[in-house]
Amino acid sequence: MSGASVKNGGGNAGSARSMLRTPFVLMVGAVLTWFIAAFLVWPNLNVLISTFFPDGGFSGRASEKLFSSQRAMKSLGNSFLLALALSITVNVVGIFIVLVTHYFKIRGSRILFFGYATTFIYGGIVLAAGYKFIYGDKGIVTSLLLTVFPGMDPAWFSGFFAVLVVMTFATTTNHMLFVGNALKGVDYQTIEAARNLGASTWTILRRVVLPMLKPTLFAVTILSFLTGLGALSAPQVLGGREFQTITPMILTFANTATSRDLAALLAVILGVSTILMLAVMSRLEKRGTYYSLSKVSSALQKQQITNPAANAAVHAIAYLLFALYTLPVVLIVLYSFADGAAIQTGQISPGSLTLDNYMRVLTQPSALRPFIVSVVYSALATVIAVGGLLFVARLLQKYKNWVASVFEYLLHIPWILPSALLALGLIISYDHPNPLVGGAVLTGTTVILLIAFVTVKIPFTLRMLKASFAAVNTSMEEAAAIMGARTLYVFRRILLPLVLPAAAAIAALNFNSMLDDYDTAIFLAHPLVQPLGLVIKANTDGAEGVEGVANTFVYTVLLMVITGLTMYLVYGRSGKRRSGAGSGTTGKRRGTVPPAPSPTAEARIAEVADSRAPAQAPVS
Amino acid sequence: MIRLDNIEVSFGDFVAIPHLDLHVKPGEFFTLLGPSGCGKTTALRTLAGFIEPTRGAVHVDGKNVTRLPSDKRQVGMVFQNYALFPSMSVWENIAFGLRVRKEKSADSDRLVRDIARRVELSDEQLHKNVAELSGGQQQRVAVARALVLRPKILLLDEPLSNLDAKLRHQLRQELKDLQSDFGITTVYVTHDQDEALAMSDRVAVFNKGVVEQVGTPQAIYDEAATEFVCNFIGDSSPLTAEFISELNRLSGANLRPDAKSYLRVEKASLTAPLNGGAAVGLAGTVVSRTYHGLHSRYVVRSHGADVRLLVKEDGGAHPEPGTQTTIYVQPGHVLQYHPETGVALAGKHQAVALP
Repeated sequence: MSGASVKNGGGNAGSARSMLRTPFVLMVGAVLTWFIAAFLVWPNLNVLISTFFPDGGFSGRASEKLFSSQRAMKSLGNSFLLALALSITVNVVGIFIVLVTHYFKIRGSRILFFGYATTFIYGGIVLAAGYKFIYGDKGIVTSLLLTVFPGMDPAWFSGFFAVLVVMTFATTTNHMLFVGNALKGVDYQTIEAARNLGASTWTILRRVVLPMLKPTLFAVTILSFLTGLGALSAPQVLGGREFQTITPMILTFANTATSRDLAALLAVILGVSTILMLAVMSRLEKRGTYYSLSKVSSALQKQQITNPAANAAVHAIAYLLFALYTLPVVLIVLYSFADGAAIQTGQISPGSLTLDNYMRVLTQPSALRPFIVSVVYSALATVIAVGGLLFVARLLQKYKNWVASVFEYLLHIPWILPSALLALGLIISYDHPNPLVGGAVLTGTTVILLIAFVTVKIPFTLRMLKASFAAVNTSMEEAAAIMGARTLYVFRRILLPLVLPAAAAIAALNFNSMLDDYDTAIFLAHPLVQPLGLVIKANTDGAEGVEGVANTFVYTVLLMVITGLTMYLVYGRSGKRRSGAGSGTTGKRRGTVPPAPSPTAEARIAEVADSRAPAQAPVS
Repeated sequence: MIRLDNIEVSFGDFVAIPHLDLHVKPGEFFTLLGPSGCGKTTALRTLAGFIEPTRGAVHVDGKNVTRLPSDKRQVGMVFQNYALFPSMSVWENIAFGLRVRKEKSADSDRLVRDIARRVELSDEQLHKNVAELSGGQQQRVAVARALVLRPKILLLDEPLSNLDAKLRHQLRQELKDLQSDFGITTVYVTHDQDEALAMSDRVAVFNKGVVEQVGTPQAIYDEAATEFVCNFIGDSSPLTAEFISELNRLSGANLRPDAKSYLRVEKASLTAPLNGGAAVGLAGTVVSRTYHGLHSRYVVRSHGADVRLLVKEDGGAHPEPGTQTTIYVQPGHVLQYHPETGVALAGKHQAVALP
């Protein structure tokens, strides 16, 4: 298949046998085999073993412990409750915001779009912390409300309700990306045809448009479900005592040696549920083509809501949501300039706005340190993941045989397993000298978090890089090979320059998503080398007092600026992207970045799947 | 049946159709023909009710429908890509309009099966997904979906344009047969002159939002009313003033040398017509010959004009490039247009250039 015959002037170059004759392939293969065995397969296998075969033979002790632990059982129930509720609320809000920004004629829809898109630039622990600082018991809005209604409960924003609200807003990013694009792919002629046949605005939406979005809606629903199931930071920050879910429980149990088997069992349950849901998703996605059947389709035109009452109601709700989306961002930016007193009371005057917080974060070593730690970790992990996978992606794209397929499947392990399971696997596999890593102990060192970061980024990076290699016109390599260029030379001089723009974009997205990581770091970080996510979380507990809150606001603003800038460079300027991103990506949209309407359901599932990695928004 | 009176359509500053008058007779297969961007689709969409004209009126069956929404005009439409609903089965697609009208389900089913039979869709196909059908079957579903509501007019927006050549030929015939079976007034939009000539009762040729000519296929071909129509339809060679003068001298005809003159490729020949007629021979040199199997295309230079012509490959003589030859031309076949306005010069031509 494909232009595989570059090597050695032709022959059956794509076969497994020919692959093994090339030193370059053997070298990459050896490193890859070790990495996969040591960090992808063994740790997860080890979790299974320590859960069910702790002393060599099968034991149901972990299950017994689980069933007798009320807290653990309750957390399981809570997780599934959250997952189900989230699947519904995210769809309601997500479909609504996509319709008002893309489908209906709404005044100021561009401004609305930017409001709803704020969750693109902050997510995870940062978003959860932001909501807590604003609506939590000592939050800015709560303080203001208390001066008006002294009798109200200061902890009104906590528990299931708060977690659900925060996660709902955070997860609509998937709708913005994928449902929005699917909607753009709807052939406008079908809408006109329906109207010509007498259908009303509502009937067209319900009977024609939404059914065409079904596969995408299924996919984002499952992603929302999984986000709810594996939630970590939102329940930890806002759940309070009465609403704890699986992943925080895993974390708690993992910290004591005696309950580690319980943690492992919970992680296994989480992992199995995730795999099941993803299997369901790919099954549903493969059923039927719902996309435009033809080559000539016309672009969607926005629909006027003809009923004036409905129109007014939709406008009102759209702007209310806009306020809910933007308020945290506006307040965080505003209060990042405020002094401690203003943050505590919520009352702010123009005179109290200074750059002091920024000066402190950027000059005081203790405040700057977490930022630097995160930047270094993210940069290192990005370079290792993208740099290493450049070779791997190239080989996997070139050789299409069973060996390559096996490697590719194994490299997707981090995609189907929740990060809590991966982290736990690393902890229990490397807390004693292990021959796989030369007899070293990794648990408690700074290296283990780096390994986890690299691992987590593999599936997304690999998919994207493979797509950009696939987009390179094979005749260029063939031309070089005919002129006598060797494999490595072709790779270095021809392929690499073409793929580099895409690789840079992928690297930027990876770097971004790890900057505010919490879910992996909380399990694995060195106690003295704490990345940003952990410090932000500690600040939500009041560890550093009001100065910590102010610092968090500054961190958040800085993260938003970095993320916003990256998003703009990678996704924005869409007009220039095709030509600007270089020939390495021309012709294949997915070369650089995923969100673009895709012609087939298969491509779409890949895109949606990718979102788990790049769209760092979901609070988990 | 359909009357467009004094229609103007503009989008912002851009005037797509400055002034349009059209009259389509009952039962007619009427085609709007023109290059892309000429306003033919805009005209159709105005008729369908998707575009509201800035001026003028649309009448269907004597009723003014200018301000009526699309579904109240009793027009059925087949879209360029059929616009079948991909999430529904064939049956659901056809029944869509009936269900919107809240017809009883037994009635709907009967009507759907009835129309399906008439467009030759089997019961088995009715329960398939539209994506499982071939291009031709999809077209029949689209036609059935439009016709099941018993519209007074059927509008077809380039329904054959995204098909391959062979299928296009086959479906062209099928569509034409369906139209004559149902006897429904049909307005058809295409940029394909072949399609327009073969299918239509009458054709309106569009250029830059203006109708250049309305007439039967033969009239617009043989008596193209404007230079644009002459160039857009068929293949012809421009003639020089010198050539026309020579033609006048030899035949005694009264053609104007200063006009823009054209000759259809099939109207010139290298052999004298058997019955003689009014043909006269002009001396020329063969410039090139391209062999096409069925015929050869020649370019012969004569009196400054490069005259293109077809020679049937029937075993007769075929002069090689460089040789001297004679082109036989009937003066009556020369099409002449005013050098400034491009309107056909009065002569034997009956065609009328429309405003």
